[in-house]
Amino acid sequence: MSKTSKTIQEKTTELTDLVAWFDSDEFSLEEALDKFKLAETLASDIEKDLLALKNDIQVVKQKFDSVD
Amino acid sequence: MEKPQSLNPIFSVSDFIAVVNQTLDFAYPNVEIEGEVSSFKVNQGKFVFFDLKDAGGSVGCFMMVFQLRVPIEDGMKVVVSAVPKLTQWGKFSLTVKAIRPSGEGSLKKSFELLRAKLDKEGLFAPERKRLLPRIPSHVAVISSTQAAGYADFIKILGDRWGGVKVDVAHVQVQGDSAPDQIIKAINYFNTQQDLPEVLVIIRGGGSADDLATFNDEPLVRAIAASRIPTLVGVGHEVDESLADMVADVRAATPSNAAQILVPDKHEIIRSVGAQLQSLIPRMMRTIESYEVDIRTKLNRALELAVAAVDNRSAQVESLKSILSQLDPRTVLARGYALLRGEAVVGNKVEIETNKAILRAEVLDVKNK
Repeated sequence: MSKTSKTIQEKTTELTDLVAWFDSDEFSLEEALDKFKLAETLASDIEKDLLALKNDIQVVKQKFDSVD
Repeated sequence: MEKPQSLNPIFSVSDFIAVVNQTLDFAYPNVEIEGEVSSFKVNQGKFVFFDLKDAGGSVGCFMMVFQLRVPIEDGMKVVVSAVPKLTQWGKFSLTVKAIRPSGEGSLKKSFELLRAKLDKEGLFAPERKRLLPRIPSHVAVISSTQAAGYADFIKILGDRWGGVKVDVAHVQVQGDSAPDQIIKAINYFNTQQDLPEVLVIIRGGGSADDLATFNDEPLVRAIAASRIPTLVGVGHEVDESLADMVADVRAATPSNAAQILVPDKHEIIRSVGAQLQSLIPRMMRTIESYEVDIRTKLNRALELAVAAVDNRSAQVESLKSILSQLDPRTVLARGYALLRGEAVVGNKVEIETNKAILRAEVLDVKNK
C-alpha cells in the first residue's frame, strides 16, 4: 500500500472497530457520543482522502520490440 | 579450328546453389505464403518438416521445433513467414521463420489442440490460481498504450481508485512479434527489484486472427510462470483465449480488468456513510431503553410514595377514631355525667352533663 492508502486503510479499520464497539457489550451511552463524533470525523476524512487520490501512471522506458 | 568459348559463366555446383540462394534472398528476403499443411513431421525432436500445398502445387518446408509456437497438424490452413532456399542437394524448400493458423477452422483447431495439451499439464487447474491483493498499490500493465482498451482501463481505474503506482509496458498486441514483446515485458516486470503486486495484460476486441496472439504457447507459458499474480483481460466478453484461461484471474474486457483490480471509491464512501448512519439507531435504542427504564422506576417510586401516604393517612384516621372514642364529650353525649369533687357527705360537688354543669351537695355515700 502507498503511504496515503495506508492511512485510508488505517482509518477504515479504525472506523470498523468503532462501529463494532457500538454493537459490543462494551457500549455505553456516556462514551457513545464522543465515539460517534470520532466516527463522523473518520468518515469525512476517508471520503476526502479517497476523492483526492490520483494514480501515478508511468510508461517504462524499456523497449520490448528489439530482436534478440 | 578452336571451338568458340561460351559467353555464359560456368559455375561449380556449389557456386551455382550459392548464387541462386543469393538471388532468391535478394528477390524474396521474406515471403508469406498461405496453404494447407501436409506430411507434417518432427524429426529428432528438433526439426520440423511439412509440405505446404494448394490445388495447384506443393512446396517443402523446414523449421526448428522452438519456432513452432502453436500446434500444427495435417489439413490445417496456415500462413508461413519464410525464406525460399535451394538446398545443397538441389531441392527447393522454404525455411520457415514463423507459422500461424489461418482461417476460423484452423485457428479453432489449433486452439483446441493447445488447450488440451496445456490442460493435461495442469496449467489451467483452479488450485494454481492465486488471489489478487484487495487494494494493490503497485501494478504493472502490459498493453499497447495506443489501444482503446488501454484507454478504457486507465479511465475506469482512475474513476474507481487512486494512489496506485502503475508501470506500463507498451507492446504490440497483435501480429507476429506481439507474443515475444509481451513475453519480454512479463520477464521485465518479473525481474524488477520493486516487484509489482499484480501483472495486468489487456487488449481490446479484434478479429480471431488479431486475438490469436493470446493463444501463443510460449506466451501462455510465460503468463503461467509469472511470479507476479496475473490478471488478463483480452477482447470482448465472448472471446476466450488461452492467456485468459491460464491467468490467475480472468477479466471479460480491459474495463472489467480495472473493475476487478481495485474497489470503487464511491461505493466505499457510500458504505462508510451507511456505517455511520447505522450507529444512530443503536444509540437511539439505548436512549429509549434508558428512558423506559427510568420511567418505570419513576412510576414505581410514585406508587410507593402514594402507598406510603395512603398508609399514613389510614393510620391517622385510625388514631383519630381512637381519639374520638376517648373524648369525654363523646361519653357525655351518650348521657353520662362527669363528677368533680370528693364523694364525702356534705361536700359540694360539680356534675357536668352533655348540656349543663350542675353544682350539688353529697347527701349520702354507699360503697358498692
